[in-house]
Amino acid sequence: MLGNGGVNVSEERIARLDSAVSEVFEMMLDRSCGPVDAEIGIHERITARIQFSGAINGECLVYASQTVAQIAAEALLGTVSETCDPMVEDAVGELCNMIAGGWKSKLGSSEAVCLISVPAVTRDGTLGFRDEFGTSYHRCYSFQGNVFGVALAFQS
Amino acid sequence: MRALIIDDSAVMRKVIERALRQAGLELTEVLQASNGEEALQALRSDGGSASPIGLIVSDINMPVMDGLQFLEARRDEKLAEGVPVVMITTEGSEPFVLRAIAAGAQGYICKPFTADQVKARVLPLLQVA
Repeated sequence: MLGNGGVNVSEERIARLDSAVSEVFEMMLDRSCGPVDAEIGIHERITARIQFSGAINGECLVYASQTVAQIAAEALLGTVSETCDPMVEDAVGELCNMIAGGWKSKLGSSEAVCLISVPAVTRDGTLGFRDEFGTSYHRCYSFQGNVFGVALAFQS
Repeated sequence: MRALIIDDSAVMRKVIERALRQAGLELTEVLQASNGEEALQALRSDGGSASPIGLIVSDINMPVMDGLQFLEARRDEKLAEGVPVVMITTEGSEPFVLRAIAAGAQGYICKPFTADQVKARVLPLLQVA
């Protein structure tokens, strides 16, 4: 399976993530987007983080290089953005929000009883999860050759 | 028509405004708020306007005051009564939808969304209003 670095995460959850990412890019950016086998360098990486709390405790991260984040922001906004434009961080945060929300909406009714936080966006390149999240999963996606990553982590 | 868009993301406020215009709404002015408290202030200030706000679009998950708290405060203060409110949010679970409707929302759209979905759910509200 492409990019599967985690354990104890069901294929069903992964398929839901693929579907959620695809829907966000198709509907909001008018771009097709699918999983690829790749890695995202830590240099100039922008990371957005959403936390789940409730029936599911965990986090969803979306991370991309500055360049890919800027391309995604432009596609979302339909306008050109400038390097280090705060709208780029905002756009990555909102993509994370929609992917996390879309993933949550595809859960069973009992699992879906959880709250999602507002996104927090950093440029420090870190992808660390809280210690209690023993199960993590990283997956890379590409739209028009632009690669970004999504990570999910859960309390075991 | 004047509209009020409430979302903590400036990007989403722009995306929603674009979707409303694509839906055919002729927006003469778009007021923006990044949370429910700012939105309440905007409605209080707009109370005597000759051209009142005709549509409110709100996110739910926001800092300071969320969209559901905004709806309930708006109802309690009797602000912008009769103005259609559409929620556009990632929170699509039934408890959120029911609470939003109970607090006065007439429309509910889940992110991600298409311009066609916005058109289909917003325009009928404006024709009725």
